[in-house]
Parts: sequence; C-alpha cells; structure tokens
Amino acid sequence: MIPPRQLLNAIVDSLRTVIGPAISEPYPKSQAFMAAVILEFVARQIDDDRAAADPAHATIAALFAELARIPECRSFATDHPDADAAQLCALIERLYAARDALGPETFATANNAVRAALRRLLDQDLKVARSEG
Amino acid sequence: MAAENIQNKVAAYLAARIPSARDLTLADWVQTAVGYSHVIYVFDAAWSENGRPMRRGFCLRLDSGTSLLRDLSSLEEQFRVLKALEPTPVPAPKAYWFEPDPSLLGGPFLVMERIAGEAVNPWSRAGKQFYAAAAQRGKLPRSFVEALAALHNLDWRAAGLDFLGVPAPGRDFALREIAKWERLIAESHHQPEPVLTEVIQWLKSNAPQAQRLAFVHAAYRTGNLMINDDAISAIIDWELQVIGDPMYDVAYVLSDLNREGSPLLSCVVERDFFIDYYQKLTGLTIDFEACRYYQILYMMRTAAFWISASGLFAEGRSRDLRLARTTFSVPVVLDMAARALGF
Repeated sequence: MIPPRQLLNAIVDSLRTVIGPAISEPYPKSQAFMAAVILEFVARQIDDDRAAADPAHATIAALFAELARIPECRSFATDHPDADAAQLCALIERLYAARDALGPETFATANNAVRAALRRLLDQDLKVARSEG
Repeated sequence: MAAENIQNKVAAYLAARIPSARDLTLADWVQTAVGYSHVIYVFDAAWSENGRPMRRGFCLRLDSGTSLLRDLSSLEEQFRVLKALEPTPVPAPKAYWFEPDPSLLGGPFLVMERIAGEAVNPWSRAGKQFYAAAAQRGKLPRSFVEALAALHNLDWRAAGLDFLGVPAPGRDFALREIAKWERLIAESHHQPEPVLTEVIQWLKSNAPQAQRLAFVHAAYRTGNLMINDDAISAIIDWELQVIGDPMYDVAYVLSDLNREGSPLLSCVVERDFFIDYYQKLTGLTIDFEACRYYQILYMMRTAAFWISASGLFAEGRSRDLRLARTTFSVPVVLDMAARALGF
C-alpha cells in the first residue's frame, strides 16, 4: 500500500500538472487547483496529528492541575487528567464569570496560565495552518 | 438550474415587472466567481418601449440556500437598506425588486442596477498594482474617505434605517455584535476552540462605550467598493450593516486584516491622510483605543466566518472547496487575535 503522504502528493501533482491545466472553464479549474492546496494541508495534518494529540492533551491536563493549585480556582478547576478542549472552553467561561469574585490579582494569575496553555495549543495548530505550499 | 433556464426565467420576470417592455431579451449574462454569500449574476436587458430601443444593466443576487452569513442578513433587508439609501448622498446601487418567492429561481432574489465600474479584488497581484497606482494618482483615496464619511454623516433615522435595530447607549452595540457572531459560531457545530472562547470572553469583558451611533457598513474595504474612473461609484456587499459605533468601520479601515502587507490602508489610502480627512469630513475624533478593541472583534468575526464556511462544507451543505480551505485560516486569525491580546 502506498503511504498516505506519498499518495496525497501524487494526487496533488496530478491536480496541478494534469487535471487543472486541462480544464478550460474557470470555476472547475479553480476547484482543481484549490483541491491540490487542501490536500497538501491534509498531508501535513496526517503527519502532525499523532504527534499533536498527546501534547495537546498534556497541555490541557497540566493547565487544570496548575489552576487546581490556586485556592480560589480549585472549585471549578479540579485536577482533571482527562480534560479536553470542550472542558477548557467551559473553564475559560467560568473564570471570566467569576472575575469579580476572584479579584484582579487572582484572575490575572489564572488567566495568564490559561493564555500560556492556549499559546502552546495554537502553536501546534499553526504548524499545519502556516505551512501552505 | 441550467444557465439557459435561469436566463429564461429572469427574462420572463423582468418582462412582467416592466409592463411597457416589448421583446425583452438578455445579453452578456455572467455569473461572477467572487463572493461566498450569494449567487450573483450580471447582465444587460434589451427591450423595445413605445418603439424606442432600451438597454439597461442589472445585477441579480440569489440566495441559494447555503449562503454564508444568510442567517445574519437577508436579501429582503438588503433591499430595504438600498431603497432607504436611494435619496441619500451614500453611493449605493439602486434596488429595483425583491422577490421572496423561492419557486421562481430556487431561492429569494434581489434585482438591482448594475453599477459602472469594477470592485477590484485587492488580494490579487493585479489588484494590488491597481490600488498602488490609484493611490499615487490621489483621486481614489479621497473618494474612499468621502464615501465612508457620507455613510457616517447620514441621518439614519430620517432615512428610515432604524428598522435595523438601535442599540441602547453605552456598551450595547459591541455586546450585540459579539452575540450576533456567537450565534453564527454556535450554528456551525464546530469543534471546541478554546482560543476563540478566550477572545470572546475578553471582548465581552472589555466592550467600549459607543460615543455616537451612525449607520455602519461593517465591512468597509476595497473589494466591497465599486470603482469607476478612480472614484467610488457604489458601496456594495450590504450584508452586515448596523446602526452602531462609527469607530467600528474606522477600525476595519485601520486594520492590518485588509492590506496583506501593503503600507496603505485597505491597499489604497495613506494612514495619516485617512485620519486627517475622515476627521475633517465627519467632525469626529478617532478613538484609537476603541478601534483597537474593534479590530480584535473583527478578528473574532473573521474566525467565526471561516468556522461557518468550513462548517458548510463539513456538513455537506456545500461542495465548494474554497470553503474547505478556510478551516486552515482559523488558527491564523486566532493567532492575530491572541497576539493583539498579548499572548
């Protein structure tokens, strides 16, 4: 079996050098070339997904653990080894809702920790999104 | 629907709407390739009226049922806005008819005049060259500011535009905008996106007070402006207009989102000239802090737009590969927002 990356590269090449140039109608021609661009992204996603899955999970779990060590945040950020992106979204909303109760210093501490984790997650996504061929 | 079939139906529709027309035929029929939101056709209609030959250019926008932003705006609203703008100094296409009956062309549609000129795409190499040359000539930058000032100086109550909804004084405008785009995100059934959640929560917590309410286009940039002889012949793409803070439009003009590395705002106007001339024409003082906030709101909007676009593809409601491509744009614009917020 041809490895997925190699197969996708072949399709991309075909779309760019065979299919696209042979189409005279502007709309289907643009669709063929756009398909090549998308398949290049997908190839990189396949390369990165397995490597990215664990760091993303670990980043979120570490954030929950860090926040659970802040006494004022413990009630809504219990140490959660299985936390996922949906739970992180909910945590962010709860932090903002409790902003006044937490006070500016505690909120800033918690928010800085959240943002540091978000930056790590974002950088992972950008590895795929920023490397357009 | 086959192109010939649509043309026949449109010809019959126009003939019914122009009872004095005899032997009406369509010519130069083009489906434009640009735009995600509606199917757009431009064409000429020729007919005989009291023995005299007549010819007029039309533009028809059709809601295909899978239009982006169709839940945020409607062709009927666009029609009402264009009708309200007709007697005002705001350059906009004249609207002729709105047809709500989907049985005619497969969805509601709007027929308006075809404006002279071209909405030159600022993202293409040719477009960038066009705007850079126009900036050197100087007429288009002035026209760009004058059209925006005409929009913001408009007495929107007198024009009957309050049907768009009038925000309460204070932070209501910004909060309404956030809620509008949050609805679009929710309807997209997308994967949880924690960075977007952080951006939205920050926006809600820091919404500015609108100092004044104006009629706001909410997507004022080159590409959404018809240009003829180096002047704005019409502001187009009336999909997101609101009564709101004029700094919302100013922020978009000042934004990096619209110029892809060009030193010129919206690829066509120098920053200092824009600021001075806009303030002179409107009597407003630009609130740069509010603009910074609205620029982050635009980044959130852009992320929401891409999420909605890729969602249409993921759900099988559209097979347009351009929509699939947009999923890779979401992290890029969220990165811009995160950096603007300092992380």
